[in-house]
Amino acid sequence: MPATTFRIFRYQPDSGETESYHQDFQLEHGEKTTLLDAILRIQNEQDGTVAVRYSCRSAICGSCACKANGKTVLACMMQVEHVKTDSGQEIVQVDPIGNFTPIKDLVVDMTPFWDKFKAVKPFLIPDGPAPEKERLVPKAAMEKIAKESKCILCAACYSECNSLAADPEFVGPAAFAWGYRFAADERDGQRKNRAKLYSGEHGVWDCTRCMFCNERCPKGVDPRDAIEKLGSIAFQEKVTSDKGARHAKAFLISLRTGGKLNEILIAPYTDPIGAPFNAPLALRMAQKGKLPKSPLTHRVKDRDQVKKLIKNVKETI
Amino acid sequence: MRTHDVVVVGAGLAGMRAAIAAHEAGVDVALVTKLHPVRSHSGAAQGGINAALGNETEDSTDNHTFDTVKGADYIGDQDAIEILCQRAPLEIYQLEHWGAVFSRQEDSGKIAQRPFGGAGFPRTCYAADLTGLVILHTLYTVCVKYDIPTYEEWFVTDLVTDDDGHAVGVVAYDMIHGTIETIGAKAVVMATGGAGRVYRPSTNAHASTGDAMGMALRKGVPLKDMEFMQFHPTTLAANGVLVTEGARGEGGYLLNKDGDRFMTKYAPNKLELASRDVVSRAEATEIMEGRGIDGCVMLDLRHLGRDRIMERLPQIRELAIAFAGTDPIVEPIPIRPGAHYHMGGVHVDNWGAAPHMPGLFAAGECSCVSVHGANRLGGNSLLEAVVFGARAGEASAAYVQEHSAAPKVPSNAAADTQARIENLLSRDKGIRQFEIRDELAGVMQEKVGVYRSGPVLGEAKRTVTELRERFQSVVVDDKGKTFNTDLIHTLETGFLLDLADCMVTGAIARTESRGAHSRTDFTERDDENWMKHTLSYLDDGEVRLDYSEVAMTKYEPQVRSY
Repeated sequence: MPATTFRIFRYQPDSGETESYHQDFQLEHGEKTTLLDAILRIQNEQDGTVAVRYSCRSAICGSCACKANGKTVLACMMQVEHVKTDSGQEIVQVDPIGNFTPIKDLVVDMTPFWDKFKAVKPFLIPDGPAPEKERLVPKAAMEKIAKESKCILCAACYSECNSLAADPEFVGPAAFAWGYRFAADERDGQRKNRAKLYSGEHGVWDCTRCMFCNERCPKGVDPRDAIEKLGSIAFQEKVTSDKGARHAKAFLISLRTGGKLNEILIAPYTDPIGAPFNAPLALRMAQKGKLPKSPLTHRVKDRDQVKKLIKNVKETI
Repeated sequence: MRTHDVVVVGAGLAGMRAAIAAHEAGVDVALVTKLHPVRSHSGAAQGGINAALGNETEDSTDNHTFDTVKGADYIGDQDAIEILCQRAPLEIYQLEHWGAVFSRQEDSGKIAQRPFGGAGFPRTCYAADLTGLVILHTLYTVCVKYDIPTYEEWFVTDLVTDDDGHAVGVVAYDMIHGTIETIGAKAVVMATGGAGRVYRPSTNAHASTGDAMGMALRKGVPLKDMEFMQFHPTTLAANGVLVTEGARGEGGYLLNKDGDRFMTKYAPNKLELASRDVVSRAEATEIMEGRGIDGCVMLDLRHLGRDRIMERLPQIRELAIAFAGTDPIVEPIPIRPGAHYHMGGVHVDNWGAAPHMPGLFAAGECSCVSVHGANRLGGNSLLEAVVFGARAGEASAAYVQEHSAAPKVPSNAAADTQARIENLLSRDKGIRQFEIRDELAGVMQEKVGVYRSGPVLGEAKRTVTELRERFQSVVVDDKGKTFNTDLIHTLETGFLLDLADCMVTGAIARTESRGAHSRTDFTERDDENWMKHTLSYLDDGEVRLDYSEVAMTKYEPQVRSY
């Protein structure tokens, strides 16, 4: 029977301690014991004050996301031995999910997460009255949002999000997955308004594309893909005044005309008003050789190839 | 003191549907839940929700009613079952209009329907194998849209009554802020779900501890048909996690260790799609007679092929891989019967109103209308939750509009609870709740399981009684105010013990075999003596039984075979 040291994040404001710390617990457990079962055994057998959210223990309620040796997981779905082999470490350190404020031990204040969820208007807003029976929806149209419908709001993506780490106001991956779920729902009548709502400051264009949300989502929702699809919807709905959208568009123009990126031209297109204020940065970049010498960079020879690539990409969206 | 017209305790399907209905009826309604609404166990329901839409083949609400009456082994109230089946299509369309992502037919774009156990026609609407999750989310989005006030992570400890014995609110522990408060109301709707955690293994969430039943029972409200616990035929051996009936609905086989489809012996017509009590007994018999593998039989999905499994049963594959180390595309899944759904609950009428307490309503698994009788059909629980959730919401709103005077909430309600909890926390030595829970769940599984007999039930009763005594000296490790889960588990354990006593006592008395209650010493159904509902009361800590009539309309009891 394996034995493991669990190094659990402790924060117990009731006891008057203002600082968090880690406490080690030793536990003998079965080969297939899940991280949640191990924590619950510690809670039962060693220390009843350990606090953790959990309920279904079958990876559907979304309560028990936490960090195991630095990676966000659903505790009920992850076996202790797998944490050890994945991380190459014998000790299993358990921390609360990231980008949140702890309330007690592994329990964090989820308020910002739920507020942002509500901010994307996560409900169907159809045009016109409903028919007597069900609305008829092609199977393929319903399947387009099947992946995002699987989101259990566990906040694993939110925990791993690098954009949130830099900007706590960023709406975040889960909420945008839900945003896409409604924006792409044939029955919804707010596609354009949703595109506007999800653009702008802290919106879809602020995603850093680090892909951690896709990587760590326990349900295969791929929130980054949803954010990307929301970007496409913004273009389709001509909601392109956002700096992020303009930046994307500038990429495309640059590729079309010159066959490669021309950063000197991209910056002013993205932000015509703000760009001049970035002149000192541009100068420093130029000094370090990070900018092309002339704004009129030479064009790549085989631009037809580039155009073909762009066409291919467009067709797959 | 906080007050609302209607307070709904529990925010799963029944609770949220009730709150939406009450809100639409124009009253001030609030939800109170010990979890967050989307964490509720309704979300773990996989296979589907029944309604005679007739999208696949012709079907009718009469067919649905008959199948349910028969599935219930004739102890369901036929007038209530008619209501359930008649409102079913309307509720499905309503969910669809609210945005539920139901799986669709290939050509027509209508809602697809799959075959399910005990049903004569493909009647089960579904969203892959995530039907509960999709409906739970749909209702939550409607609650968000309506901005229904929701007390999240408030554990309700007590039902509050006035001097006339009317329900006038609840006392709850705000887990985040660590306070105990009264929420006054003109009507209370209980919708806290089942008590599956009386057993181990159980498909139920850790949070399924039957709190509403426990609270109502302590206030003198009887519980109905507590002896009927459904054992689901396909649960994972490792931890009791559910494998949907949809797996058999899609064509899965059950095999014993010799590779035989043993259901040909037990239900030659319906085979794997006989009703759950029948399939669970068949599995238990195969295992007892030595034709199992490590206490399990096998669920074989391989012949469905990769594409169908990935499209229709993706979650099952994910769970089987995570918890059983088995990919159903390449090998059969070891499964066994496990406690799943409690047919019994708070005794209520067809509107979800408790006849013994004005102002109290209940809906969903914590209630007993009764539409499931002695055995629930797969796909009828989500349906019951939305249909009777809606009705309880409508009825509570109507009650409030008739009884508009401010509720006379006893001023000491929260203080009484506070004192009781402080007393509990002041104890330093004693037994921890998990020891009692473990022993209780073990004895219920072993002695009040798929097959039962008088003498063994008697042993279970003695153990439960002894555990209730030992619980008097329970000790809580965590003395803090914030998010004290040890305290909550202790209070839940108190409920579980009372409920287990009702289950065992009812089972001892019922000297017949009916639906999920299968006695080896009384193997036949006895309509002459037992065509009646059991009512359990708690008098000075002792369970007392009484009985009430079963409502019949046009379906005469018949021999039940599949």
